[in-house]
Amino acid sequence: MLEARNLSKSYASIPAVREVTFSLAPGQVLGCLGPNGSGKSTTVKMLTGLLEPTRGKVLFNGEDIHKDLVGFRKSLGYVPEEPNLYPYLSGREYLEMIGILRGMPSSRLENKIDALLDLFSLHPHRHGSIGSYSKGMRQRILLIAALMDDPQILIFDEPLSGLDVTTALVLKNLIKTLGEQRRAIFYCSHVLEVVEQVCSHLLILRKGNVIAYDKTESIQDHVEHSSLEDTFMHLVEEVDTEKVSREIISAMEAA
Amino acid sequence: MISSRLLSLRRRWDIWSRKPFPTLVRLFLGRIFRGGGESGQDELDLSMGLVLTLLPLPGAFYSVFLFEKYSTLLQWMQGRTDVDPLSAAFPDEYFFIVFSMVVTGMVAVWRWDSIFPDRRDYANLVPLPLSTLNIFFANLLAILLLTLVLAIDVNAASALLFPLVVSASVNAFSFFVHFFLVHAFVLVLASLFGFFAVFVIVGILMATLPYIVFRRVSLYLRGIIIACFAALLSTSFAVPPQIEQPDSAVRFLPPVWFLGLCQLLRDRASPSLASRGRLALIGSAAVIATASVTYALSYRRCFRRIPETTDVSPPSSAGHLGRIFRTLDRVILTSPFQRAGYRFVMKTLLRSEHHGLVLGGFFGLGVVTASQFLFAAFSGKPLEAGSLPSAEVLAVPLILSYCIILGVRVVFDIPTELRANWVFRLSLAKTGHECVPLARKVMLTFVLPWVFAIALPLYAYLWGWRVGVLQTAVVTVWSLLLAEILLLRFRKIPFTCSYPPFRDSAVVIVLLYILGFFLFVGVTSKLEYWALSDSVLILWLAGIPVVVWYVLTRFQEGRVEVDEELIFEEIPQGGFELLDLGHGT
Repeated sequence: MLEARNLSKSYASIPAVREVTFSLAPGQVLGCLGPNGSGKSTTVKMLTGLLEPTRGKVLFNGEDIHKDLVGFRKSLGYVPEEPNLYPYLSGREYLEMIGILRGMPSSRLENKIDALLDLFSLHPHRHGSIGSYSKGMRQRILLIAALMDDPQILIFDEPLSGLDVTTALVLKNLIKTLGEQRRAIFYCSHVLEVVEQVCSHLLILRKGNVIAYDKTESIQDHVEHSSLEDTFMHLVEEVDTEKVSREIISAMEAA
Repeated sequence: MISSRLLSLRRRWDIWSRKPFPTLVRLFLGRIFRGGGESGQDELDLSMGLVLTLLPLPGAFYSVFLFEKYSTLLQWMQGRTDVDPLSAAFPDEYFFIVFSMVVTGMVAVWRWDSIFPDRRDYANLVPLPLSTLNIFFANLLAILLLTLVLAIDVNAASALLFPLVVSASVNAFSFFVHFFLVHAFVLVLASLFGFFAVFVIVGILMATLPYIVFRRVSLYLRGIIIACFAALLSTSFAVPPQIEQPDSAVRFLPPVWFLGLCQLLRDRASPSLASRGRLALIGSAAVIATASVTYALSYRRCFRRIPETTDVSPPSSAGHLGRIFRTLDRVILTSPFQRAGYRFVMKTLLRSEHHGLVLGGFFGLGVVTASQFLFAAFSGKPLEAGSLPSAEVLAVPLILSYCIILGVRVVFDIPTELRANWVFRLSLAKTGHECVPLARKVMLTFVLPWVFAIALPLYAYLWGWRVGVLQTAVVTVWSLLLAEILLLRFRKIPFTCSYPPFRDSAVVIVLLYILGFFLFVGVTSKLEYWALSDSVLILWLAGIPVVVWYVLTRFQEGRVEVDEELIFEEIPQGGFELLDLGHGT
């Protein structure tokens, strides 16, 4: 369904992502992991068409997404990393606007907004301005906006950020179920535990390069570690975390 | 029949307005008006209705004030007969043209960052199934609609009232209609010119400069534009007498072109004014066309590049600032609170566009007023060596000092990132804070360096050391007193407290500021001039700050402890208060 082929992106000749290749089939939940600056956000932006790759392409059903971006985005639901919303609109007004801009018919839109606001426990706050919402409430608004047009592809960039435990659990189950319903899901996160539970496949990036791409279990088997955290540390991080912790305490205690 | 037609039209409108393009236009209109800040937190949230109500008021008041000038009865009582209303209206019409250009131009400066779609729009709109052309045209249409509404609104009252006042002495309805049509048309055109002229400047810079350079230049440029507008407004009564003078420099001023257009449309233009009038038409068309082209270019260049500029931040000048701060730490910043607070306040003032703009506005006002005083002091008079400087010349540093200190005090009340003030709430005790010394030191930082580095040597060089030293001493002491007066009841860390609620006393405060200007500048410069002529008067001059200081000290002593507690929220004062006298009995 969605395929990244040799994606590369440079900012002012500094490469951020190099030759990233992977595919996302219906029913797959592909987790994207990597430390800060590994190129995750740049990859997500290229997948959504927000950023044009310097080299390579993103294919949707075999066609370059930039040939028909509007058509591609009709099938796309996207939860960005930052809940950058219009603070003077109410939650309901924002969702209504997004629905209209997505071309959803009015009758369907009204019902969906109310139902989803209710399910995400935002119905009582629907007329309050987004400026007064907590981070978790804004994140829920973003999730509703991404889900309400029933997209075939979902791209989540740190979707659990700011969510309370219950909503986070709901979302984890939801992602699994959406995957089972043949939606293609790209899931970017730092929370390894969730990625391990939710994702069927893994893409691990380091310094803009793909260092691992396979089924979650296969990667873990390959590096012979029991948890994803150990696998991640083995593949990505080059620092001795215990040593750094000791050094931080020394710096704290220094006169 | 009519009601069913209306219903059907209403239904069609409802269906149409729920389509993507009108929804986008609505979004952009709201965004331009409401800005990008967190509503109710950092930005002063002015609703569209309030802004549209306030804008036409000054024009309306001024029109009513002019009634005295055009009233036939009053003219007869003053012995003035055969008054030509059109000739009499010449300078007033110039003022209205300047006013309409300045107001719409200032709105463009105020909403500078909201005119173009920004990062938030990109994040929300681009992932949706919308073509970027739709976003482009929706924003363009929103700008055009807003400009038109603004141009009509600013002039709505004055365009009707001023012709009514002018035509009071003429018993012909056709005169009123003709005057009204020409006046309204020219004012709206002048407003459009003012808005789009600012727009062109922004657009050209955005289209030509690298993004980081644009952001840096932007603040200074907006300050210059505000100063130009202030100059235009404050000279609006001095320009009309010079318009008909051959080769006068005022012919280059755009408001003069529009005044020429008025005269041209009324068939009363001299050849030179007629050519100015034609220039107004050509200029307006050129400005609107250029604005459209620069909008398209800068949209293409900036909006589409937003995701690539996300992580780019301008390099800081921490090295130079660090050295300055370390020196100040040793000399004037006497406690850890002052050191940390001073760094925070100065960096916010120097880096926040919003605060910089307001402060720049006050500074611009100071420069314009000071130049008028200088112009008045030297017009036609050469500088005589050895003679004493006039009161106007002595007033110049006082004007700058007054405007800067007042400007700094005003910006202290404008919050920045209120959600970040938890760090101060957490680490500071409510009592025993040093907010006043901190604020005073920041205020004087903006005055004393140039007083000692520029004013003292300049006055000493031109009029001798006696004048230089006295002038420096007066400006220093008066600035200190002004800072103390403005900081009475001050008990917050600058920028960390919510906006003060609008109080009924706000108008009185503005009037006090104006009165304060005349005392601080007018009276002081006169006293200083007399003191320079008669040395005995220097003692009188020295006595004033002593008395003021004594009064201020007594006032401070009378304060109760609760009035000195550090605050982070301005609580509106209730209309009445329950004393709860029965509590505890």
